This record gives sequence, structure tokens and C-alpha cells, in this order.
Amino acid sequence: MKTRTWIIILSSAVIVCAVLWMFILNSSSPSKIVGIYQDGSLVEKIDLNSVTDEREITLNGKFGKNIIFISHGHIEMKSAECPDKICVKHGALEIGGTPIVCLPNKVVIQFEETPYGADAKTGAAE
Amino acid sequence: MKIKNLILTAILTAMALVAFTIEAAIPPLTPIYGIKLGIANVFTLFALYALGTRYAAALLFLRIVLGSIFTGQAVSFIYSLAGGVLSFILMILLKRFFPLKQVWILSVLCAVMHNIGQLLAAIFMTATVQIIYYLPVLVISGIIAGAFTGLCAQLVLMRLKKWSDSRYS
Ligand SMILES: [Zn+2]
Repeated sequence: MKTRTWIIILSSAVIVCAVLWMFILNSSSPSKIVGIYQDGSLVEKIDLNSVTDEREITLNGKFGKNIIFISHGHIEMKSAECPDKICVKHGALEIGGTPIVCLPNKVVIQFEETPYGADAKTGAAE
Repeated sequence: MKIKNLILTAILTAMALVAFTIEAAIPPLTPIYGIKLGIANVFTLFALYALGTRYAAALLFLRIVLGSIFTGQAVSFIYSLAGGVLSFILMILLKRFFPLKQVWILSVLCAVMHNIGQLLAAIFMTATVQIIYYLPVLVISGIIAGAFTGLCAQLVLMRLKKWSDSRYS
């Protein structure tokens, strides 16, 4: 194929993905029900809007502890003993944003109702 | 001739490892795993076009194994391997469709494939299909990073081709 054809294909792919990404970031979910998963299984389900007292959840993974901080309408990975600390740098879980993922310790924090309406554990549409 | 290629592969592997280790030491720009330049890919592409499939495969495998040991992240080994193997298979399958001046396009396709492979490994490892969220960003970052590393390899290969035509197929 000609180089020009490829440039058109690749530019279109970039545009499509950018639009898709904007859609994912902007789509908001009305509920604030959050699921905390470890090794793919549900650890705890919390409605952030009904949280009154601040608290912390400690999970033990392969690389040590993950400490999750929860307050009203807010959840974040406060600290982690994983090697990359990507989960801590992610900051708070935002509506329509990306889930908090700790790949080393296999911890995922996400909203239970996603823009795709997919079931968190199996990925099957509801 | 064969010893010459062997030595060249070893040198390229060492250079790829240096690039990989330096890149791993730079803190990530985004909270999203998998967004990076992948400079080590320049060496894989170069080896594939200049030396052939076997040498490039050896370079890639050694770089992934040693790179994971040097950076001390056993977890990233699985992601690197998943991405590396998938993109390399695509690379050798598609190589014949891309002449020297289109190396960067092949590199883009492989970089996207690499990111998809890493994402699939992450989905499998965390048993969380929701990570598929990252797909659009990873495709975009793969296209940008792949074009950059591909152009680097392509420019070197084209200069070398001018200098000596004998080694290239
Ligand atoms: Zn982490």
C-alpha cells in the first residue's frame, strides 16, 4: 500500500480513538457505588454517597499492603507497597474516569455502573 | 559472516538493554500503564531488517528477560513478553509488505499490537475486563511511539543501505 494511504488510515485511527477516549472520560454515571476487587473477586462494595465517616481498608497482596482511603464521595489509594505505585499516583476515583488499578497486587477499584453497563467481574452486558 | 552477525546482535542487544533500562528509570508521565516510547524497539526493527528474523528474535527475547531482571520488576516481565511476542509475530508476518522507506508504518502497527498484547495480559492477570477502557489511549500512544521508533530505525537503515547494499535483502 502507498504511504499516503497508510497515513490516512493511521490518522483516522487516532481520531476515532481520541473521540472514544473523550466519550469515556465525559460519560458520567449517576451512582457512586464503587467495587473494590482483588484477584478479580469482589472485596467490598460501597456507595460513596452514603459514607459518613472516613475510613481505610487495607488489602494484602503479593507485593505488600494497599491502603485504600474512603470518605464521603471520595475513594483513593492512599499508599501501596507495590513496585510501580501507579495506583497511588492515579489519585481519586473520578466519575467517568479510569478505574484505579494496581497491576502488581491485582487490585482494582471502579464504579459498579460503567458507561457500557457491563458487569464488572465477567464483562458480560447486563 | 555468521560470527559477525552474532557479534552485531550482541552489541545491539546491549544497546537495547541500555535504552530499556534508562527508559524504565524515568517516572511514567501518566497513571496509565503501558504508555512509553519503547526505544528498545528501534534495535529490534534494525536487527530484523539488517540481520534477519532469527537474530531479531534472539535480541528481543534476551532484551525482555535481561531487562526485567535489571529493572527488577518481575510483573512487568509478563506484560513485556505478551506485548513483545505478539508484536514480533506481527512484525515478521507483515515485514515483506513494507519496503525500507515504510519501516515506520510497520513499527506503528507493531507498537499498537504491543500495547494490545500488554492490555490483554493485564486483563488476564487482574481478571478485570474493565481495563479495556485504556484501549483508545494505548492505540494512540502506540501510533505515536511506533512512528518515532520506526523512523529512528528507518533512517539508520536507509543511511546504511546507501553505504553498503550487500547485506540487505
Ligand atoms: Zn500499585
